[in-house]
Amino acid sequence: MTSPEMADAPQGGVVTADAVLAELERILTEVVGDELLLDGPITLDTSFDADLQLESIEFVALSEQLLTTYGERVDFVTWLAGMELDDIIALTVGDVVGFVVASLQA
Amino acid sequence: MPHVEANGLRFHVQVLKPADAGGSVDGGGDAAPRPKVVMLHGLVIDNLSSWYYTIAPAVAMHADVYLIDLRGHGRTDMPATGYTVEDNVDDLVALLDQWGIHEPVHLFGNSFGGVVSLALAHRHPERVASLFLVEAHFAVEGWGEHMAGSLALAAFGLDETAVQDWLAENADRKLSRLAKRAERFLTETSLIDDLQAEPPIAWLGEIACPTYAMYGSESDILDRARELEAKVSSCELEIVPDCSHSLLTEQSALVRERALAWIQRVG
Repeated sequence: MTSPEMADAPQGGVVTADAVLAELERILTEVVGDELLLDGPITLDTSFDADLQLESIEFVALSEQLLTTYGERVDFVTWLAGMELDDIIALTVGDVVGFVVASLQA
Repeated sequence: MPHVEANGLRFHVQVLKPADAGGSVDGGGDAAPRPKVVMLHGLVIDNLSSWYYTIAPAVAMHADVYLIDLRGHGRTDMPATGYTVEDNVDDLVALLDQWGIHEPVHLFGNSFGGVVSLALAHRHPERVASLFLVEAHFAVEGWGEHMAGSLALAAFGLDETAVQDWLAENADRKLSRLAKRAERFLTETSLIDDLQAEPPIAWLGEIACPTYAMYGSESDILDRARELEAKVSSCELEIVPDCSHSLLTEQSALVRERALAWIQRVG
């Protein structure tokens, strides 16, 4: 398993969208395993539901893992509290990456 | 920690609190302790995500929310036996102990999670502060006589048509994974036998904690709503028009509004 420190920004540094995307891809492989549906590379436009056909319980596990990697500043609970069911189902990889990056810059 | 060992099984759980809730809810200076809410989901194709996707994050703005994948469900272990309501109550007690929660909690139960909530409130009233029930299921008088084979599932809201309809809405990968898991659950565990053997609840009238119950007007188990209203004197009942047993997902904004108001009142 990749150690969490690898994904951490150095003191005062900035975590880039590319780094978060790579971490998210690693976590997806870990959460879903070999059955991860990949027709091509995961991009910011990839949808969790329509493209990856992620089960909802897998998305829960994914957000938990991102929290483990990046810490409490990535406040998924507050973010999701402002969404309706349809908004969550429509989330793309880019939405989550953007949220993580913005949270770490805040 | 996403997994907790309790009652001999490995449970997938999620504890939700916003980052600004602080590390310890009980040691927080002048801030009042946050209420604790435990949410229990429905049967077989359900898991904690139905709460996570609908009302849990919003409730977590005001309370510490504990989500559990019940045994056999979601990312929790699927043992071969032990699927009675009482087995699930034992799990819940073990999890509360594991978390060190000894004060009364607010139990939210959807469908089958409703009967587990009611059963905990009956068996350990000192551990339950209130009940918030969405389409709560429970065995009623005469129910056992009509149960045979798949009827056991129908009585718990999972008739074959509903399962097929639900699966049909989902794309291939999810369908195959969920169907495989559901099939394993139904054919390789004692779930159906355990549900068939479930006796009618004879103690509803003993439930004394504040209770809010929501049902859809088109629900196939509307008789349970009337039963609750008749027997649980502390129960407030709301029938939501034009809504089915899938109330939580069909009307998640409304359920969330009621849940938040409930926590404000009883928390």
